[in-house]
Amino acid sequence: MKLKGMIYIVLIVGLFSSFAMVYFYTKQKAFSENYKQFLSAMYYLENAEETLNYLILQNAIYTYHNHDAIAQKQQEINDTFRVLQISKILQDAHYKSIGLSLEKLQSQIQESNTKIEKFLQLNAGVKNSLLFLTRHIDNAAESLKQEQCSQECKDIFLNANLILRQYNNAIRMQDLDYIKDAKLILSNGAKEKKNIDFIQSFNLHATFLQEQYPQYIATTKSIFKSQIGLTLQQIRANFTALALNDFKALNAFSIILFSILILFLTTISFLFLIYMRENKKLLETKESLEYSLVYDQLTGLYNRTSLEKKLKTIEHPHFMLINIDSFKNINDIYGNSIGNALLKKIARLLETKLSHIDNIEIYRLGADEFGVLFTNALSSKVLNIAHILEKNIASHSFIFGELEIHITISIASNFIDPILENADLALKRIKKDPTKRVIEYRENLNLKKSVQENLQMLETIKTALLDDRILPFFQPVINLKTLKIEKYEALVRLELKNGRYLTPYKFLDTARKSYLYEEITRIMFEKSMRVAKVYPQYRFSINLAMRDILNDTLTKSIFEMFEEEKEVASRIDIELLESEDLHDIELVQAFIDKLHSFGSKILIDDFGSGYSNFAYFAHLDIDTIKIDGSIISEIATNNRKMHMLRSIHNFSHGMDIVNIAEFVETQETAMLLKEVGVEYAQGYYFGHPLPAPLERDEIIFS
Amino acid sequence: MIKWLLLSYFFLLPLLADEPIVPIPLDEPIDIPKAKLGQELFFDTLLSRDNSTACVSCHDIYSGGADERSVSIGFNGAKGNIQAPTVLNARYNFKQFWNGRANTLLEQATGPLSNPTEHNMDPKKVQDRVSLSNKYKKMFKEVYGTYSITYELILDAIVEFENALTTPNAKFDKYLRGEIKLTHEEQEGYKLFKQYGCITCHNGINVGGNSFQKMGTFVAYNASTTFPDRSEITHNMEDINVFKVPTLRNIAKTAPYFHDASARTLKEALSVMSKHNLGIELSNQESDKIILFLETLSGEAPKILDTF
Repeated sequence: MKLKGMIYIVLIVGLFSSFAMVYFYTKQKAFSENYKQFLSAMYYLENAEETLNYLILQNAIYTYHNHDAIAQKQQEINDTFRVLQISKILQDAHYKSIGLSLEKLQSQIQESNTKIEKFLQLNAGVKNSLLFLTRHIDNAAESLKQEQCSQECKDIFLNANLILRQYNNAIRMQDLDYIKDAKLILSNGAKEKKNIDFIQSFNLHATFLQEQYPQYIATTKSIFKSQIGLTLQQIRANFTALALNDFKALNAFSIILFSILILFLTTISFLFLIYMRENKKLLETKESLEYSLVYDQLTGLYNRTSLEKKLKTIEHPHFMLINIDSFKNINDIYGNSIGNALLKKIARLLETKLSHIDNIEIYRLGADEFGVLFTNALSSKVLNIAHILEKNIASHSFIFGELEIHITISIASNFIDPILENADLALKRIKKDPTKRVIEYRENLNLKKSVQENLQMLETIKTALLDDRILPFFQPVINLKTLKIEKYEALVRLELKNGRYLTPYKFLDTARKSYLYEEITRIMFEKSMRVAKVYPQYRFSINLAMRDILNDTLTKSIFEMFEEEKEVASRIDIELLESEDLHDIELVQAFIDKLHSFGSKILIDDFGSGYSNFAYFAHLDIDTIKIDGSIISEIATNNRKMHMLRSIHNFSHGMDIVNIAEFVETQETAMLLKEVGVEYAQGYYFGHPLPAPLERDEIIFS
Repeated sequence: MIKWLLLSYFFLLPLLADEPIVPIPLDEPIDIPKAKLGQELFFDTLLSRDNSTACVSCHDIYSGGADERSVSIGFNGAKGNIQAPTVLNARYNFKQFWNGRANTLLEQATGPLSNPTEHNMDPKKVQDRVSLSNKYKKMFKEVYGTYSITYELILDAIVEFENALTTPNAKFDKYLRGEIKLTHEEQEGYKLFKQYGCITCHNGINVGGNSFQKMGTFVAYNASTTFPDRSEITHNMEDINVFKVPTLRNIAKTAPYFHDASARTLKEALSVMSKHNLGIELSNQESDKIILFLETLSGEAPKILDTF
């Protein structure tokens, strides 16, 4: 949007610069037109001035001359001058000096016009008198042909000719020297009537000429001395210089404007390109968004959303949920990039392997989950495909450079609604069974039931806790040497509303997965310690899982109870159940140290089953080992178990660790244990778990 | 063909150039409707304050275009101060009025209209008067495309009419064009006209009207009254008694002569001129011949007067 704003701004700038350009262009055009007009008027004036001078010269020389041309030229000069005066270019303050020069020119022209007017007046008189004198002499000469000419007549005639020549020379040379010294008239001494008349007429005009000549010649000279031509040249030179500057400025301005326009064009193109690119990006983002709504970005397969949509549209779906076994490990070991590449390869492999089957769609549903949706497919056929697929993939080598990865997959097939959830349940089930890779969901798998049972159990535990129906039972532990009861193991029971008891196998797993477990443990400690207080002759042991030690609040509350009842605490032993996920040995040892400070002892429960780990003994101060029932129950019949028993016992003995055997159910077993040297025993042979310990330490065999 | 044309051109050019008098063109471009509107105005006494005087009252374009009275009679019987010059061919005069105070006909026209002794009007009044007339409204609309009549348009129309007032085809013009021959006496008269120097001032298309000259260059001329002369414009003492050289076209029809109307006949005028401005005395014979020549300068009546 910011970009759009910029485009608009640049467009406005461009628009303005275009307007400026047009405005400038018209200005420039007007200026150059005005300039041309002014200059051509100037040239015309210069020309007209020359012509006028020429015409006046003609007029001075020719006897007959048409004045019209002069008047017309003067009129033209006036008109042209008017054009100059009102020229638009002079309105600029810049050209003020030209305007002032024009005023000077105007007065010069007016002066010249006055002189021309005067010249024409004088010239007419002078010309006419010269003409008269010439004709006067001619006429006299003509009459001389018929009449006698006296000496007087001859003298007069000669003198007259001489005088006329002087005047003619003077006018031709425009020089007063020819006439200014002498008095150029005929003397009045004639006696003959004819001669007297001639002289009178001659002198009339000669006198006139002598009078007029100085003024006439001065006027003529001053006309030709006129400064108009010079003034015109100066004005033109000044004007051209000024205009040249203006033209330069205009030129510079036009370059600037043009540059702006170029800049504008470049910017707008650039912005437009950016805009196009952004637009494209936006479109791409939109496309990719739309794509990611439907497709999985990594593999290009349809995604879970597509599947959910699709499931709503088809009538008889059959779904195959494929899970890569331990895919997390692959990511951990080889890294995510290999993991992703592997997923892609799997996707392609699925496509290839299933390419020959119609009406299917392949999906990627989660990190390590794929799915194949069949429409109108036979269940047996789908199952068959699943088996083949599983085998194909298990035997396939995924090669990444030098790396070769083999994977296995689990497939759950399902056509019963809800399709996805059921497939999921079935898959979970199959994961628990390492021997199975393919499963078809069936109602009779009771997958749902167990879920429901879990929920019910949780509800039962919850209400039991509320009703205080969680309680310890106590099973006697016998000293095999004395055959006396020395201690009791507290075992948790849930009392049902109908008065029956549930053993921990029924509910503790469920409880462990919820927050209720902690509460149960606390109650066990509380109630057991209360009972232990009443039976000071016995030691008691309470079960705790290794991971419970990590639960700070739980251990804290246990030790609080221990602090309160120190005497009782010294008779309470803790039976630790081994588990695989305990790594913080130091923490466990710290816990054991604390227990020891109360006089409490530590048992390792169920030793010899599952994850029995000798390493514990290197780091932990263990007091007692309870040998697992799976060994004890078979020592009479199985030699190997007997050996194991002996080994465990020997090893314990060497480490000053006492042994308890559990699951002792027969006398024979008890005898064997005694023979081996096992110190303690418990089991149905010696006594079932009871709601409370026995007052006496005698064994009551049933 | 081209060769002949070129030849004739080179022969004719010096001939025409040499002759100091030029014939009146036969085909002056005229806007006829405008000129006719001008004519209407020219003849209309509406243009004077007391509805007594029209332009034509003093410029009788049917005979000479001037006033046969010594001075014209204008508003309320007032007398003018100078003899009315002819309006015919006035467009060829380099300046207007006896003392050349107007450069153009347009400048001239406003003079008599505003003169208190003539039409005694002012621009506003002229405009109002003409605007009231339905006849003029129609005519102005036709000519100028507008009903708003202004003083400028009124003058423009009158000037166009005056521009049309030319008198071509004078006998002398025909002679100049080589169409006819002059009689021997007329030819002689023209020769004298030149020889005695009349031509020095009376030349050009209007045979005068293109320069100023003193009345009495040679022998002082005592005017009985003070007339508005050139000195009124130049304020120069030397220009006293200086007037525009009048046209000699149609001179036979424009008596009386001179600014002061002192000469009743051509003969009288010739005698005054030759004495005062040429310093000569013409014989009877000479002056008759010159008069015969001058009569050849009378042209045809302006075409516009026959155009409807």
